[in-house]
Amino acid sequence: MAEGSVLMHEDEQHENVPAFEFVNVNSTEFHIGTFRDLWLEVLNPEVYSHCATAPEVEDVEFIEEMGIEPKTLEELKHICGADSLKRGHEDPDSLPSDPHLSTLKLRKRRQDYKETLTRDTLDRHEVYANELEMISVGKKPESPGDLIPEGEMVLTFNIMYPVLFQRFKRVRAFQTVHVLGSQRLTELRDAICCVSDLQVFGEFSSTPDMVPQFISKDHYKSAFFFFNGTFFNDTRFPECRDISETTREWARSRGFPHFRTAKMEDASFYDLRMKVGFPYYYTHQGDCEHVLILTDIRLVHQDDCLDVKLYPLITHKHRVVTRKCSVCHLYISRWITSSDALAPTDPCLFCDQCFRMFHYDDEGNKLGDFLAYAYVDPGTFN
Amino acid sequence: MEHFREPVKTDCEELLARFQATESVRYEQFLEIWRDMNFSSIYYGKPEPSERRRFARLILSVVSPYFFPPYTFQIRVGGLFLLYGLFNSQLVTPREKIRVSLKDWKDVMQFQRDAVNAQHYDVVYIFRKLLTDKAFYFTAMPIPLFYREKKEDGRKMKICEEFVDPSSRPQELVTTDMLEEIANIHEHYEGLKKSVFAEPDPNLDLIQKNLVPKLNGAILTYSNWQWNRTESEQQDDEEGPSNQESSRRAQLLASIKSRSYGQAVEASKSRRHRQTQLVPAAEAEFSLKVTPKKKRKPSLKTRTQYRFNTQGNESEGLNVTRVWCMSAVKEEKAPEKRKKKFNWNPEKSSDPT
Repeated sequence: MAEGSVLMHEDEQHENVPAFEFVNVNSTEFHIGTFRDLWLEVLNPEVYSHCATAPEVEDVEFIEEMGIEPKTLEELKHICGADSLKRGHEDPDSLPSDPHLSTLKLRKRRQDYKETLTRDTLDRHEVYANELEMISVGKKPESPGDLIPEGEMVLTFNIMYPVLFQRFKRVRAFQTVHVLGSQRLTELRDAICCVSDLQVFGEFSSTPDMVPQFISKDHYKSAFFFFNGTFFNDTRFPECRDISETTREWARSRGFPHFRTAKMEDASFYDLRMKVGFPYYYTHQGDCEHVLILTDIRLVHQDDCLDVKLYPLITHKHRVVTRKCSVCHLYISRWITSSDALAPTDPCLFCDQCFRMFHYDDEGNKLGDFLAYAYVDPGTFN
Repeated sequence: MEHFREPVKTDCEELLARFQATESVRYEQFLEIWRDMNFSSIYYGKPEPSERRRFARLILSVVSPYFFPPYTFQIRVGGLFLLYGLFNSQLVTPREKIRVSLKDWKDVMQFQRDAVNAQHYDVVYIFRKLLTDKAFYFTAMPIPLFYREKKEDGRKMKICEEFVDPSSRPQELVTTDMLEEIANIHEHYEGLKKSVFAEPDPNLDLIQKNLVPKLNGAILTYSNWQWNRTESEQQDDEEGPSNQESSRRAQLLASIKSRSYGQAVEASKSRRHRQTQLVPAAEAEFSLKVTPKKKRKPSLKTRTQYRFNTQGNESEGLNVTRVWCMSAVKEEKAPEKRKKKFNWNPEKSSDPT
């Protein structure tokens, strides 16, 4: 009996060591919590701790384990020091004029080509990307209570945008989010930003100042994740509905195997069994569907952002070209009009100021006949 | 960044090959080669934003497989030294980390034990230095996976043959366990035969009596032969008779082939109009190489511009308002000269023309 349980244990271990199911595409399915325990079992806690061990302690340990003289260690340190890797003082920005490494040959060719182009050195998107990075890089929390515990897992998700627009058809636009293994699925759901959450419904041509502040996120709170045969529904609010029911009903009538349901707010990532690199599913606003991929799982590292409050942490966002107002070509559009006799096209986009100047007189009376809707640019998240 | 994968691989393999040629696992030897090649300059160059980080990530992911099996111990030591060198000479802060997956970790531990047992102090020291420097990410998979499209881009791990021990499949197949098993079965079989027939029937002697020793002997002879052959191949690499012989044979084969393809079969009368023609081999190869270039649809911008240009020509001259924006066009831009795109693979595309 005891033997049997040991065997079971080993089986379980083996099953939860991720391996490739298809080479370089996705991994086999494994339980994330058990996977973490396996790592912690084989590692010395010092290896993943947030603070460095004192070098003296390290030296003594090394001498004891290897059974060598302190003199030998000094010699080793001298030989193996990282300083000897560099050769003299060279400027890392300049390439050697006659490189012999093939990487450098390629880079030199590329750089020479780049110099023929006239380009602004820093574009706006790079600036934003840098800003985004600055928020999180090497951040330590203000209060020690917010420090991420050692040995926590960091999961990286790529969340694709749905193909809502023709221009998203050829690029795979996505945002990258880091979450902690102990966090709930709802925390990931709240971190995903999508324009369809921000839409405002209604026609406001006669009362342009009355645009309500409620967006669809506040109206329709239902959402679900589909991970590995289970629908995780968001049921935090009374107005949430099980929107996965339609799908399950459909599947049942087509003879698919039964799908389980669970509550999103009850599940943490450690409870899940998942495959790395495998496409999963997130649906909100009824039919706004995102594919999401778990790209990476690893133990948290000393150099990571260590503030729990900053997680889920967005590290990459696809940047969309914003649509400008068709009058001034300067500001991002806020209004969209249709059946508008004054506009050159139908529909037509306007920024707030141009819209008012163009469609209303000084007293704010509506001029002409048109329908106006609030417009949320997909580039709002840039 | 992916374009750098191939050259990086070439460079690293060159370094490792030179390290292999020294037939040593000492760090001094490695350092000498490293400095001779000035390997830390691989990070140099005027950086584009975030390019350095991506490059560091790439090069570490290219090198780390050399630290794991199936490579020989020496190459794995070289891989470790290379990782150490690259990790310490990278130019970004915080430094990019080396990814180790859970599955590979037990190989790493075995490697460390081997190094300790063989008293390679420098190897153990460097490995421990990397650990205390927190140079590793402990991950699920060796690379992040994001369902990339399948393209033949060298991302697939091609194992560098020279760095692996010569394979010995027969030896792997015939292990002591296996031999014991066969001996048992054989015994059982003989016993069964005896129990069925009172006296041994010569018609049933289908299997040799001394099967196991013979099998073992055959494997030993084979491995001896293989070993001798690799030895001799290494010895007479340049002027060995076997080498010449094989090249002579290859020439003979080539000439036979060329003769047989050199004669076009004359078609029958009914097909005279479709007489076969000889195409010189080189040309045929060339025609294969030139794949029809994909015709790209012009971009949305050019298409729109084209559309509006034609419309504008029909209605008026230059002084048109653009329909999709309300202000008049201030000045018509001179058509820009198309910029030449950067060519990542000059050897490939500038083929014989």
